[in-house]
Amino acid sequence: MAAIRHESILGLDNIRLDLPVASVGSRSLAVFLDYLILAALAIGWVFLVVIALTPLLPNWVPVFLFVGIFLLDWGYFAGSEIATGGRTVGKMALGLRVVTAEGGSPGPSALLIRNLVRVLDLVFGVPLMAIDPLSRRLGDRLAGTLVVHDRGREKAPVLGRVPPGWGPRELAAVESFLARARALEDTAGAWAMADRILDRIRRDAPELLEGVDTRRDPVAALLQALQVEES
Amino acid sequence: MDYARFVRLRRPVWDTFERRLAASRRSLRGQGYDDLEEMALRYRQVLHDHALAASRFPGTSAAGRLRALALEGTRRLTGRESRGGVLHFFLHTFPRAFQRQLGATGIALALFLLTTVWGLALAVARPDLGLTILGPQAVQGLEEGHLWTESLVTTVPPAWSSSLIATNNLSVALSAWSGGVLAGIVPLYVILLNGLMLGSIFGVTLQYSMAGELLKFILAHGLLEMTLVLVSAAAGLEIGRSIVVATDRPRGLVVRDAARGALVVLLGCLPWFPVLAVVETLVSPSAQLPFVLKATVGLALESLFLALALRPLAAEANP
Repeated sequence: MAAIRHESILGLDNIRLDLPVASVGSRSLAVFLDYLILAALAIGWVFLVVIALTPLLPNWVPVFLFVGIFLLDWGYFAGSEIATGGRTVGKMALGLRVVTAEGGSPGPSALLIRNLVRVLDLVFGVPLMAIDPLSRRLGDRLAGTLVVHDRGREKAPVLGRVPPGWGPRELAAVESFLARARALEDTAGAWAMADRILDRIRRDAPELLEGVDTRRDPVAALLQALQVEES
Repeated sequence: MDYARFVRLRRPVWDTFERRLAASRRSLRGQGYDDLEEMALRYRQVLHDHALAASRFPGTSAAGRLRALALEGTRRLTGRESRGGVLHFFLHTFPRAFQRQLGATGIALALFLLTTVWGLALAVARPDLGLTILGPQAVQGLEEGHLWTESLVTTVPPAWSSSLIATNNLSVALSAWSGGVLAGIVPLYVILLNGLMLGSIFGVTLQYSMAGELLKFILAHGLLEMTLVLVSAAAGLEIGRSIVVATDRPRGLVVRDAARGALVVLLGCLPWFPVLAVVETLVSPSAQLPFVLKATVGLALESLFLALALRPLAAEANP
């Protein structure tokens, strides 16, 4: 899976916020899913109206068909996004969400604006998203919105003790290893990696290993030595 | 500050903020003033911690957690718009936006009238134009002394025509508006085409002495219908202008503001189209209703719209 691209914006107090911007690929896939759903809804609506209304109000069948299809065509995307705070079914499936250019929650008018120009974006959207660092189509530029990844936060191990001299690269590498160590199928490989980290701790801060049994389970020893907690 | 100490000292703040976010997941409305104030304070603290972690401890779990919290907090606590209800929208928000774009509406009207006269002159100068614009059936109908519009109610039930007319007119208005994003080309096209069509159709009916009949047909609905299309197109022109014309402000902000104003104008116009579609199917083609009544309906609808759109408003307070 490709890494999520982060683009910086300036938020409150001019603090940099890194937004996980959705790229043209995931957005295209989401919109493809949405159009499939839209087509299914339209077909479902035609069947429903024809079957349910023909015996009761035959003269009104075309009226319900015209109006229903028109509302679906112009209202599906805007309606879904307004109702769910910036998501459609396609976006939910891919873990995407519409936010304002400042990372905030977009209001109904911004969501309406971005969807009213959707027809034009079927032509211009993809090339515009491809060349823009924030992957904005015409509607996003007009409404001041962005589409970002919104997958929620997963718990991750945090080191409670750190050997002196370790920088962010070491910290990130050890935390990343510990997050995956228990799920690795190659236990021997995981233990070998844990042993190498333990060696490094033995060299930089041997006092952290006092009272820690490093011979039985190196991964458990590492968790104990660095007082790792889930956060 | 080392990483472990940073996490140990600041973690209670992050935990509190995360708990408060989870508690208010459904809505912020249920939160009391103190809760919101506390949440805003924690949000600021999380933002600052996020900035520190992103620069001092990039790639770590704490930096990742803080980034997720900062994004979630920003999304939940900022960016919402105030809503004033439907009545407030039509009595205040719409008239204000409409009056702000009067210049664009004036340009749209001038262009429309110009092309209407041009179409009229063209149709009078070239009688064969009628066949091209209206088709052989409609021209044959004119020769026999009846308008093609009669088929609106004779061939299909009024409800069908109403829904078709309403959705068609709504599509025209929406397209004219949204096409503004292409530097105003689409709304310009809609204005010019409508003017040219109206003028030339009048010119053709003049040749068959049916212009009076056409006027009778369109008076009840046409006046407001054309006004709404022109106003929607003018809103599209405003968007186009914001894209093309340079100002002192960043273009992104100018375009965003123009789109918001234009959306208000569009939303103020859309509800009238279904009303007009009913008038167009029930009142306009009716042979029983006198011309005076149709004219009254048309003028009353137009006056009502303009009275609403041009109603005097109190001066806007400075933000």
